[in-house]
Amino acid sequence: MTLLQRSDWYDVARDTNWTPSFVSEADLFPPEMSDPFDMPKAAWAEYDEPYKVSYAEYVKVQREKDAGVYAVNTAAARTRFMEEAGQRWHSILKLHFGAVSLAESSSQISEGRMARFGMAPGMRNMATFGLLDEIRHGQTQLYFAHESLKHSPQFNFAHKLLGTQEWGAIMTRATLDDVFLGRDAVTTAIMLTFAFETGFTNMQFIGLAGDAAEAGDTSFSNLISSIQTDESRHAQIGAPLLKLMVKNGYKDEAQKAVDIGFWRTYRFFALLTGTVIDYFMPLEKRTSSFKEFMEEWIVGQFERTLLDMGLDLPWYWDFFLEDIESFHHGMHIGWWLYRDTVWFNVPAGVSPAERDWLESKYPGWNDSWGRLWSQIGENIRAGRTDLTVPKTLPVVCSFNNLPMVTDPSKPWAGKDQMLTYKGKKYYFQSHVEKWVFEQDPERYAAHQTLIDQFLAGRIQPPTYEGALNYMGLSPVERGKDAENFAWAFAGREPRTMAAE
Amino acid sequence: MKEGPVEQARLKTWSALAAQRRKPSEYEAVAFDTHFLNDYAQPGRSGPALPSLGPDTFVNRWYQKNLIDSPLRHDDWLAFRDPEEVTYRRYNIVQEGQENYVAEVLDRFSNEGHDAGLDAEWLTVLSRLYTPQRFVHHAVQMASAYAATTTPASTISHCYAFQSADALRAVSHVSYRTVELARAHAGFGFGEEERRHWEKSAEWQGFRELMEKALVAYEFGETFVALNLVAKPAIDEACVRQFGRAARRFEDSVLDLLSDAILKDSARSRAWTGGLVRFMAQKDGNMDLLRRWLAKWQPLGDAAIEGFCAGLPDGDRAAAAARQATREFRDSIGL
Repeated sequence: MTLLQRSDWYDVARDTNWTPSFVSEADLFPPEMSDPFDMPKAAWAEYDEPYKVSYAEYVKVQREKDAGVYAVNTAAARTRFMEEAGQRWHSILKLHFGAVSLAESSSQISEGRMARFGMAPGMRNMATFGLLDEIRHGQTQLYFAHESLKHSPQFNFAHKLLGTQEWGAIMTRATLDDVFLGRDAVTTAIMLTFAFETGFTNMQFIGLAGDAAEAGDTSFSNLISSIQTDESRHAQIGAPLLKLMVKNGYKDEAQKAVDIGFWRTYRFFALLTGTVIDYFMPLEKRTSSFKEFMEEWIVGQFERTLLDMGLDLPWYWDFFLEDIESFHHGMHIGWWLYRDTVWFNVPAGVSPAERDWLESKYPGWNDSWGRLWSQIGENIRAGRTDLTVPKTLPVVCSFNNLPMVTDPSKPWAGKDQMLTYKGKKYYFQSHVEKWVFEQDPERYAAHQTLIDQFLAGRIQPPTYEGALNYMGLSPVERGKDAENFAWAFAGREPRTMAAE
Repeated sequence: MKEGPVEQARLKTWSALAAQRRKPSEYEAVAFDTHFLNDYAQPGRSGPALPSLGPDTFVNRWYQKNLIDSPLRHDDWLAFRDPEEVTYRRYNIVQEGQENYVAEVLDRFSNEGHDAGLDAEWLTVLSRLYTPQRFVHHAVQMASAYAATTTPASTISHCYAFQSADALRAVSHVSYRTVELARAHAGFGFGEEERRHWEKSAEWQGFRELMEKALVAYEFGETFVALNLVAKPAIDEACVRQFGRAARRFEDSVLDLLSDAILKDSARSRAWTGGLVRFMAQKDGNMDLLRRWLAKWQPLGDAAIEGFCAGLPDGDRAAAAARQATREFRDSIGL
């Protein structure tokens, strides 16, 4: 064999910048789509993507990965697993596919933008592979969810969710529009590939693949770990960019983009992952709590990565460390109470044994979130499940459309969480959301939460049932308690409840 | 997508595809309507493309101008299907096979000392017209990646994405050969003079003008005409097919075979390009718009072919053949 090594010719293939003369540089790379900081060419020349791959290697490796993923998912094997897997696992899959399939698919726009408007050829080439990767992630996850339709129409939300006005969909779109789809190539590289993919998804996919393996879903586990290997490659588009920004005097700009991108995507991540780890996963399959997972995988690793790069921890870091102990508990009780507004059946995850586990992982949980669940349990046992379903819509964050939550054992310090802009009052999940809003109010002020849409008269009839239909949820699609309230009767036989 | 509630407890496919009656293919199940951007951003819709961001943000103005305000019309953009139904996994299966073939060609001829036998006249042509091709293919890669971000349907975006990757494949082949040629033949400027040729040599100025202008034709319809109906056919016919023919006459078997390999990608690109033209032709007025853009871009394509082929031995014949082939392609799809 006398084939050249990749390293023999790789640099030639990324020496493709030229000086245009038939159009202006500013037309070819409009700053608002490309590099709004207008960094000098000499700075860009330092861009060096750490994960190098050739086209031939890419198609070979990806073909092999797909062969593995699709072979494991033979219809018969999967069907047997799915029929035996409990409702909790089905719920995890429905939640994941709904929130993630089209989100990944839409990241094609982000990768395409970096492949066109990145100023360094190496960045453009890596983003070209990233563009293909995101097609893969959209298509494989849709394939799996489509195969699962026979088990429940709720799997339809893998394809449907992000086209609806379901509240989680509004939240997801608000995040993706801002961080993935609505930015120039440089900021996209920082917010999407560094803050989100390096910060969260890479680790999330490792964790989720582990959970899936624990739950016996080898097919899904295999899919997710295979996706993670792509993420770990294209997530490295942002890091070399950050390095050259810091080195060339653009640290403040880089830091701000990290701070915004990290916070926005943290909310999305905590909503999906925090609730799953601490409440959805069957107790016997749990390996760690969300807080432990965050501290071990996200906090420690991301801190090191940031500092190595010459950046600082985000200014809200202390608050972030507190928030990972509470926010997702509030979101979970929100999922459960408003279960008819989501596309999966929600496990309460608070049987007596699970409460003990929560108390051990989050000391004080019983006196805060646990108090609410105790009351809910009493209502169920008294036959008053009607009291467990709110009949009005909650107050939501103007910025991310999530219900406003606060630790029930502490007084609410709300004054830092609202502002008036051009005569309209905005409420924020926290002072960090407010800070992001203040960085560019015109960018965010027009966002219509579900409540804004309700107040604008778009939900007809203007009732709770009208809102459910507006969100695209028929009775067969709406979530229910995943275990038919059995958890509320655990250890309290005989059970008298009627089915929900 | 904007679907209402589903009442059936058992679905055979996505509710969004249920109306089409026939069972969807795997391609349809995974490629149909996967970009929520298109719920708001399609020609003729009111926008804004990203409704959670202010209508005056740069990105929303960009999509307004370049996609939503496009004069092209269709009653159902999501109904477009790639005629070859290329899914991601199919793409890699096909291209891995293709790249194995290319590796075999490179390996075999390298072992046989192929490059040592190349004629000096041909080496000069290679240094001026072949190794600088990485720039033109990279420009196609960039333009196709952009186009993938600005279409009314994910099924169109996917076609552009694979086309972008195909162009990166072509960049890789040229770069690989650049190093081999530089090692075998010092003194011809291999690996050194390519950018200068691309920016200054007369043969390249037509293609550079065409690609720079195509790269800034940001509107969805004009991007399609400039890139897929004019620039890519011109590049494929002149830089790949005619250049491959010339290689054959100079006994450059490597380039002859590499050109054929790249033309398989071109054929796939033309299949969906033709499919999209036929799809647009379903609506009155679109063909006139495409022809109007063509009238603007075709002269640039012709001039690029002419300039490039002037550097080829037997250049007049090559230019005429390349021009003719681009016309035949457009004729075959009704343009």
